[in-house]
Amino acid sequence: MRLLFAAALSAMLFAPVAAVTARPLVLAVGGEPEGGFDPITGWGSYGTPLFQSTLLRRAPDLSLVGDLATDWTLSPDRTRWTVTLRDDARFSDGTPVTPEDVAFTYNTARDAGGLVDMAGFEEARVSGPHEVQLDLSAPRISFTSRLATLGIVPAEGYGPGYARAPVGSGPFQLVEWREGAQLVVEPNPYWHGGEIGFDRVSFVFGSEEAGLALARTGQADLVAVPASQADSAPQGMTPLNVETVDNRGLMFPMRPDTGQTTDTGAPIGNDVTADRAIRVAINQAVDRDALVTLALAGHGRPATGPADGLPWDNPQGGIPGADPEGARATLEAAGWRDADGDGLREKDGLSAAFDVVYPAGDSTRQALALGVAQQLRDIGLHVTPNGRSWDEIRALMHAQVVVMGWGAHDPSEVMNLYHGSGAGAGYFNPGFYSNPTVDAHLEAAERAPDFEASLPDWQAAEWDGTTGFGAKGDAAWAWLVNLEHAYWASDCLDTGARQIHPHGHGFPITHDLPDWRWTCEE
Amino acid sequence: MTAIELLSRGPGRARTSRHPAWRGAVAGGLVLLIMAGAALLPPAWLDLDIHAVGVPPGPWHPAGTDSLGRDVAARTLAALSVSVTVGLTAAIASTAIALALGLAASMGRGADHVVGVLTELVLGLPHFVLLIMVAFATGGGTTGVIVAVALTHWPRLARLLRHEAQGVAASDYVAVSRALGRSRLWVARHHLAPHLLPQVVAGFVLIFPHAILHEAGLSFIGLGIEPHLPSVGVMLAQSLREIIAGHWWVALAPGLGLVIVALAFERFGEALRQAAAAPGGTG
Repeated sequence: MRLLFAAALSAMLFAPVAAVTARPLVLAVGGEPEGGFDPITGWGSYGTPLFQSTLLRRAPDLSLVGDLATDWTLSPDRTRWTVTLRDDARFSDGTPVTPEDVAFTYNTARDAGGLVDMAGFEEARVSGPHEVQLDLSAPRISFTSRLATLGIVPAEGYGPGYARAPVGSGPFQLVEWREGAQLVVEPNPYWHGGEIGFDRVSFVFGSEEAGLALARTGQADLVAVPASQADSAPQGMTPLNVETVDNRGLMFPMRPDTGQTTDTGAPIGNDVTADRAIRVAINQAVDRDALVTLALAGHGRPATGPADGLPWDNPQGGIPGADPEGARATLEAAGWRDADGDGLREKDGLSAAFDVVYPAGDSTRQALALGVAQQLRDIGLHVTPNGRSWDEIRALMHAQVVVMGWGAHDPSEVMNLYHGSGAGAGYFNPGFYSNPTVDAHLEAAERAPDFEASLPDWQAAEWDGTTGFGAKGDAAWAWLVNLEHAYWASDCLDTGARQIHPHGHGFPITHDLPDWRWTCEE
Repeated sequence: MTAIELLSRGPGRARTSRHPAWRGAVAGGLVLLIMAGAALLPPAWLDLDIHAVGVPPGPWHPAGTDSLGRDVAARTLAALSVSVTVGLTAAIASTAIALALGLAASMGRGADHVVGVLTELVLGLPHFVLLIMVAFATGGGTTGVIVAVALTHWPRLARLLRHEAQGVAASDYVAVSRALGRSRLWVARHHLAPHLLPQVVAGFVLIFPHAILHEAGLSFIGLGIEPHLPSVGVMLAQSLREIIAGHWWVALAPGLGLVIVALAFERFGEALRQAAAAPGGTG
């Protein structure tokens, strides 16, 4: 079947085509959803929902623009969004998108049990012929991001089979989905967003190697490739390295070890990393440029915060690093000295030694752990890399430094990482970080009247001049690198302006797919 | 390991095999060399070096460097010493299990039956599958590999020892000893043990190369030694990605080292077994 497909594809590619008909676009970027294409179970939170449209969407500079919404306002008490919908939006079966559909989508997502982050959302109500009201239980400005990611489904016809046969008001409609093999889509004739440059788009799923092979034989127009292959694009294709906030860093346990354990018996606390001087010294000492060279083969950039380059990032809070002298001074001042001359610092009988745990299957994080261990040896810290499975890491992460990664177009990630109410919860804040001042800044940001106005508060949480979660303040993490996502793109494809990509290599590149164009005359 | 068996069997059998002591010296010398070399290796030689990433073999790096700028030759030496340590520990444990079961089998009909069933059961399971299961159950890591190899390599030797022990137990002089009132323990110590010793030594030496090959195998599929520690299996697994990029030398040194060590012990063990089997003719 696959052979047949390839043959048919080649026939289409090489047959003389009239200049007017656009040839099909073939993508091998992974991202096949396990649960199908239902936004309410999480489809579309990265990249584009493809078949559905959202109330708002993010422009390449990450500012919010209307998609289904023409106007959106937040009430003075900041708990009610009033959204006016455009009147020309239609689902791919031709029926118009109504406020009832929007209310149905939000209320269903709320009841779906946490598959989409709907924290603080109370109820959606139809308030006019083209108007819907979304009520929050408390002010939460980061809920704005939900408006830009939750795809609207039709109230009529939404049911158990929806995920496999999605009907939406997005740019594309589903033609065929063969699980594990490929997804074929065609433009939605009723889409409100304008012309689409392709008659047909195929997503080929399969291993990374299969994608590379398709690219080398000229059968795919855009493929996601590993960093090691980034520069060796075949003829007719150009390497495309996309900046991301897909970051990696060291998560520090913040509490001293008092013998306390979690409900499941995992130990909490680490006496060495509980000392701020150690965490700051690590931030000062690490040579992030060297780590980019080592772990990412140069395809990345140094990271100093959880959201480098995003509007809510505060570069003032970071420490650039590669300053072993400064790190030594910090350690000396805090009483970490090498009294016995073994090259390893001690303080009150405690050795400056700790593990850096990394997931054993991830070669990038392994290289980071090894690189950091070697760099920190120079300032007298003894770091032991420790490769574990994620199951084991869950039991270790409250007491050991772990190489973790995040990166989202949503400041609620900052909230999850650093707000004291989430201390110890999940992978976001396993180190039990909590600082009342930072909490206050984060809460102030959530209470802001609009998204723009919330930015100074997000930034103040990272560093407000005296404290913050950033390296200059509490140094709750030592962020190390931001990855670059590598693709090969056909020379004939114009992928337009691109935004900084979030965590996840592959599918996020489809975010602006409706704007892509062929540039070659055939 | 089939390849090793073929290599050591093919021409080696036809020719008059060399003296076991000579082959033992080669194998033992190799192990000593590896252990001493790894112990004397300056730790700095195992460091990452961003200025020497993917360097082909040359005067500074005789076996080249890998994608993190680590010297492949130094890393291979350290890896072989890890492999040898794991292999020795696992082989000793496995031999001890085989010996205990072999001796237990000679204690009586019931015990013999139990040992027989147990041996056949373990032999009946696919070897590597059992190895993976045990390594997974013990949580992987160096200890996991040792336990897994120790628990899966005893059946062949145990069966041999059981057979040998039965032969001795049925012999006239044992019957005479028993008639003279010697205890079972006395018989086991004075008649059984001297007979089994050569088989045990040969068995141990033969388990050793399998142990290090299987350590490499487990580490290769990610169930063994942690991926940042030097280990032949880990190095070979990581070299897969590098070979695609044209860095063939990353696989060469660890692969060659593993084959040489395994082969030396296989041939030593084979010579020992022939020497042990020759006079009695029971094996």
